[in-house]
Amino acid sequence: MPESLLTILKLCALALLYLFFLRVLRAVWAEMQPPSMVGAPGAAERAARTAAPRDTRSSTKLAVVEPSELRGRTYGLGEELTVGRAAGCQVTLDDSYVSQLHARIFRRDGVFYVEDLGSTNGTFLNTQKVSAPVAMKRGDRLKIGSTVMELTS
Amino acid sequence: MITERRRNTELGLVVLGATITAAIYTLASLGTTADLPGDIGPFLGVVLALLVGAHLATRRLAPAGDGVLLPLAGLLNGLGYVWIARLDENLAALQATWTAVGVIAFVATLVVVRRTRDLERYRYTFMLVGVGLLLMPLLPIVGKTVNGARIWVGVGPVSFQPGEFAKIILAIFFASYLVEKRELLGMAAKRFGPLTLPELRHFGPVLLAWAASLVVMTAQRDLGSSLLFFALFVVMLWVATERASYLVVSGVLFAAGAFAAWSVFSHVQNRISLWFDPWVDVSGQGFQVVQATFALAWGGVAGTGPGLGSPDRIPLAETDFIFAAIGEELGLLGAAAVLITYILMIGTGLRIALRAQVPFNKLLAAGLTAILGIQSFIIIGGVIRLVPLTGITLPFVSYGGSSLIANYVLLALLIRISDDNAGIETPGRPVSLSSDGGP
Repeated sequence: MPESLLTILKLCALALLYLFFLRVLRAVWAEMQPPSMVGAPGAAERAARTAAPRDTRSSTKLAVVEPSELRGRTYGLGEELTVGRAAGCQVTLDDSYVSQLHARIFRRDGVFYVEDLGSTNGTFLNTQKVSAPVAMKRGDRLKIGSTVMELTS
Repeated sequence: MITERRRNTELGLVVLGATITAAIYTLASLGTTADLPGDIGPFLGVVLALLVGAHLATRRLAPAGDGVLLPLAGLLNGLGYVWIARLDENLAALQATWTAVGVIAFVATLVVVRRTRDLERYRYTFMLVGVGLLLMPLLPIVGKTVNGARIWVGVGPVSFQPGEFAKIILAIFFASYLVEKRELLGMAAKRFGPLTLPELRHFGPVLLAWAASLVVMTAQRDLGSSLLFFALFVVMLWVATERASYLVVSGVLFAAGAFAAWSVFSHVQNRISLWFDPWVDVSGQGFQVVQATFALAWGGVAGTGPGLGSPDRIPLAETDFIFAAIGEELGLLGAAAVLITYILMIGTGLRIALRAQVPFNKLLAAGLTAILGIQSFIIIGGVIRLVPLTGITLPFVSYGGSSLIANYVLLALLIRISDDNAGIETPGRPVSLSSDGGP
């Protein structure tokens, strides 16, 4: 077996190895692509969700009451709002008494409800501990960790 | 659907991986004996049967599991086998058996662990078993000392390294323990400039893990495993609490432990001085590292060609130093290929952890990935003299039954977690098949 032939075969084997990696990368890349909206089952619903809150967001808000340095900050309420320490939440509270995903506020038939998402230190609506989704009305105070927020419109 | 796409990707890659393995096996035989291997047909058949068997099991048991982990592991296993076969015929036969047992263990793990939350429930059982396995080699009758490290257990004719299994079991325990305690451990108490330190008593678990890894290091003389366990715990603690202060404090503890070990134990001093300068004792203790350096240098960019180098002059070339053997015969390109395979596996593992919704799954995936990453870093770094050499197996590549079987179990757990994730992922996923990644 001439050595040059072995070298060529070796290079072919190496090329094959890198081809393997290219295919792995292509498979990973295909998965990383954002899901296409067309024809996806949730597409219509998602479109509705992004369009609908615009008219309600201006009316109902959560206004921070405590801590005092954040007073005046407001969060518009849409169909759903999550509160927690995780960066992915719409309302992120940097407070060690707040769980990563602490609570959510959602709307059903025009009424806002607050639900505790299994937080460690609990969610309180007007000093009442929230154990199941509870309806909120204007002026209600929501306490999460050391933050107090009021529902205003 | 994503499920179908992942499985087709897996099948395509598994077949390609088996082909590459068979091609390099043939080349190695051409190189050493100038003849085609007599058993190339059966060889390709067995490799394909094992990998496709594992693929079919995944299709049945974890249909939405990740599709690239198994092919990547299969490729590493195949490459490792080629060099083991090229170095030692007898070990190759054993390694083939271990691979088969490993694939069976992979399938068995998928069968037994249907939901990862079942593992979470037995956390203290896992702790006891993990610590028991870790300390087992220290027992008087069954424990055995091989090459200076007391990490073997022999019962009759069967001997194994319990530490290889302990690492996975302890990762499961750490994950369930930290899920329960992370709120507490993550609480801030004091601020020192940019660092927010949790309360002092919350460093208890870190101290415990540190002490345990010191025990492993001093009593079993196993530096690699000791480093692996401590790093695994610290990484998982960091992921669970998102507090970098744990990394800093652990780093300081590690430095202190390392310095103390260096000043007390002669074998640690040896390792460090050989790391700085292996040429002092070229024909003695530095021989192995020096030979590995020569091998890598001799390999150059594309290597001498499979079967055309002489990696057999490196002691332990089929276990700890197999990376040098591959580097000699496939050169920089082949060595980089091994590294790329690990990086792709680690990337996939971290992606699984990122996508996991259940905290336990997230931590376990991160922990298992960390094991794979840290272990391959420790041994490859040791062989190329980036870090002091500590004997530990190169996952999936090195010869060794315990290591291979344990790593296949680890792989099955990662695939199980990604299968769990898919149940949550699927609703928002595209149905369009146009961006098909499969064959």
